[in-house]
Amino acid sequence: MTTEERFLSYIEAFNAGDWDRLTEFYAPEVCLIIGNGTELRGRAAIVAFYEQVRTKARRTIRVVDCFCDGELLAAELASEFVALVDAPDFPAHPLRQGDRLYINSLALYDFDDVFFTRIRAATILREYRPATLGEATPI
Amino acid sequence: MSAGWGTLILSCHQKPFRDWFEAYLTAFNRADFAGFAAYYADDVIFRGQAAQVVGSQQVVEFYRRVRAYLDEHVELLTFVGAPDRRKIVAEMRTTLVAMRDWPDMPSGPMRTGDRRSTVVFAIYELADGRFTRIRTARVAGAQAASR
Repeated sequence: MTTEERFLSYIEAFNAGDWDRLTEFYAPEVCLIIGNGTELRGRAAIVAFYEQVRTKARRTIRVVDCFCDGELLAAELASEFVALVDAPDFPAHPLRQGDRLYINSLALYDFDDVFFTRIRAATILREYRPATLGEATPI
Repeated sequence: MSAGWGTLILSCHQKPFRDWFEAYLTAFNRADFAGFAAYYADDVIFRGQAAQVVGSQQVVEFYRRVRAYLDEHVELLTFVGAPDRRKIVAEMRTTLVAMRDWPDMPSGPMRTGDRRSTVVFAIYELADGRFTRIRTARVAGAQAASR
């Protein structure tokens, strides 16, 4: 399996909410820095964060592209968040149930032979689409 | 010194990908407009932090305007090149120093002597050895790489 194929499996695990499988891709001391600068260290912290987000919104990630160079993988990701409940404190933008948030991001994954050791992301574009209007607006 | 178009084609296919990209940044940091403009497709789409323009001439005109006010230096922190040379993702630190007041600077006013440093991830899409689309994403907080 190539690193790119392995990465697609990782995203598949994420979209399925399969945290056990997801953490198989992480080094024990993995560091994840998400688009707003929040830094999470270790598998448990990352899973706790994702679990918390998942109580408020369903996130689906589509891999626009990914490629490797040495021990780095770069990816462009298109994420769709659908709010399951009202989430006024949702990171990036307050959401009401049914609202959608689209985030295009660039992410860099450092990896060793087996695991991702560091993941960093930055946002290219955000769009907010309220459930009531259906019109997407950049934010 | 400008990088001629013939040189660019040769470089893109024969130099290591990272060296080719670093030559672009070297030309950019020297304000060698002809040199770095040679990397752009005529209809390049540029979506930077301070400008969103289409066309190589428009990009150059934007940077000529910037250079009238600012000294700009870009440092390559991380480089990831697609093996088939169709894309690059780079992490870069941009340092701006205002040489004179620029109250209308698109990303926020600067006064003479002000220094501003930001880190971005940028994705460059290529066709025929030139950039066809450039998009950047500002990195929040202090998370620049050390490599």
